[in-house]
Amino acid sequence: MNERTGPAIVTRALERTIVGQEGVIEGLLLGLLCNGHVLLEGPPGLAKTLACRSLADALHGEFKRIQFTPDLLPSDIVGTRIFDQRESAFTTVRGPIFANVVLADEINRAPAKVQSALLEAMQERQVTIGPQTHALPDPFIVMATMNPLDSEGTYALPVAQMDRFLIKIDVGYPSRAQELAILERYAIADAPILAPVATLEAVREWRTLAHNVHLDEALKRYIVELVIITREAQHPAIDFGASPRATLAIANLARAKALLEQRDYAVPDDVRGVAPLALRHRIGFNFRVSNEGGSTRVLEDLIARVPVP
Amino acid sequence: MAFVGRFALDGSAGLRPVAHRALRAFTSIVLVLAAFSTIAGAQSLQRLTVTQLTLTADTMTPHIEVPFHLIVTAHVRERISELDNLDLPILAELELLGDEHVLVTQRGGTTYRETITVVAHHSGAITIAPVTLDATNALNGKNYRYSSNSLTLHVLGPAAAIAAAGDAWQGLRSLLSALLRLALILAGLAGTILLVAVLIRRRPPPVPVVTLAPAVPVARDPRATLREALAALQRDHSRAGAMRARHVVRRMVGATDAETLADVLRRPLAGDRQLRDLLRALERAGFTYDADLPAALAAALTQLERMTR
Repeated sequence: MNERTGPAIVTRALERTIVGQEGVIEGLLLGLLCNGHVLLEGPPGLAKTLACRSLADALHGEFKRIQFTPDLLPSDIVGTRIFDQRESAFTTVRGPIFANVVLADEINRAPAKVQSALLEAMQERQVTIGPQTHALPDPFIVMATMNPLDSEGTYALPVAQMDRFLIKIDVGYPSRAQELAILERYAIADAPILAPVATLEAVREWRTLAHNVHLDEALKRYIVELVIITREAQHPAIDFGASPRATLAIANLARAKALLEQRDYAVPDDVRGVAPLALRHRIGFNFRVSNEGGSTRVLEDLIARVPVP
Repeated sequence: MAFVGRFALDGSAGLRPVAHRALRAFTSIVLVLAAFSTIAGAQSLQRLTVTQLTLTADTMTPHIEVPFHLIVTAHVRERISELDNLDLPILAELELLGDEHVLVTQRGGTTYRETITVVAHHSGAITIAPVTLDATNALNGKNYRYSSNSLTLHVLGPAAAIAAAGDAWQGLRSLLSALLRLALILAGLAGTILLVAVLIRRRPPPVPVVTLAPAVPVARDPRATLREALAALQRDHSRAGAMRARHVVRRMVGATDAETLADVLRRPLAGDRQLRDLLRALERAGFTYDADLPAALAAALTQLERMTR
């Protein structure tokens, strides 16, 4: 496997559309390789939606976008059964969740029952409409976005539901040079539609390869220590630490990261690189976190306390 | 609630039984209404980013019958005109004389400052419970009960008595201190005279001064370190041996336990291309899968031999 046949080909394709945001591109690829869902949080206008759209374009898959609003209903997502008068029978109309890449835009704008319907589908990878259970396509990846600035009229995701997301990416503002590049690239033309560069079959193969990446015993112990320190550090800004699901997530993500770096074994850099992505939304930060420099700073501080193997 | 309490306290003393019953009934109604408003308030809390909630006093050792102040300070990031759901502790052992609050809105948010004037009637320790503030955290939308520090005051006896006792003790203490100072001056003079006499009698002959060359810092030869790493790997041709050699080389470039290979490669001492290749080879030997280990060990040995030549 090389740059032309591996997942790096998708990375290169996304980099052609999105200026900067390397962290977002890598996060989306990691989610794809680990068969996990991705939560993107950042202010509006930072190419969150474009990144998700471009990932779907780069794959030979189906893309659906759901704009979450307060009046959305679960059936608007999963589908419903309607009565056909000519046939005198109920027929199933599938919702937009039946796609390979689903963009749940502004997930925190919809009430809890709608969020639950989506998150249940994410977990089970199947939905039940009436008496029938329908399997969702494979690969199936949900990319949800949240805007941290507008808190009015939003429904915060409960911790248990946040845990369903494999990673959470904090999307930041671009640098001056990147902003200039955006201006030059998109001042006149819209973002181009990417030609597909990988098949869904290739994605499934990459996933198997990522799963088989070697993770040494020393790295497994390192991962456990990284998770345990979030519980035992007694940090004033932390109410509760990460769950064992975070341990599993870091291990899977480190393997996927190694594959992205075209290695068949993981190294400490892979683990440390992905740990914040898996831990950030699984730790209960309290109101003191802003005094400590924000969740990213707190997390960096905790990770730096664990000796690298 | 404070209004009800004060009204009952002030108004009950001179009232006739009928008026007293009417007042009690009125108080009960007001209390019930207050309880309902509390429940309603709990359902729609203010969305706040609380950065400070403290309880202080202008003295930690107040005197009996001398008024002092308790100060509650809260700071929130939002601009608000009122701070709801702030619960002050019950000041059972203190008499409330007055209470006023100010709300200052600035660019960085709003500062709420409440000054409570109280007086103590008994000496001893008094612990004041924390002030609490119920609000929805604007960052994550969750409801929190923010809590300030508690306060322990030590109420002293009457101020006048303490001052009189203090004056007598002060006079005695200054007399003793003057006597002690005089004795010390006399002893110092006697000691100095004795020392001068001894030095004049036993003065040694002058010794010629020898100027030494500045010490040359002994830097360890990097080749010696690399030879040590090579020997470690040759002695123990295994993953453990590779990890020991890796440790030696990492120490040589000044790496700490918290640094990964990416950090080490950013160090100025790791600028040499051969050294970078060696570090990468040792990383591979340390973490690769078993089938690749012999090749990885051979590559690390080759790099080490090349650098020690």
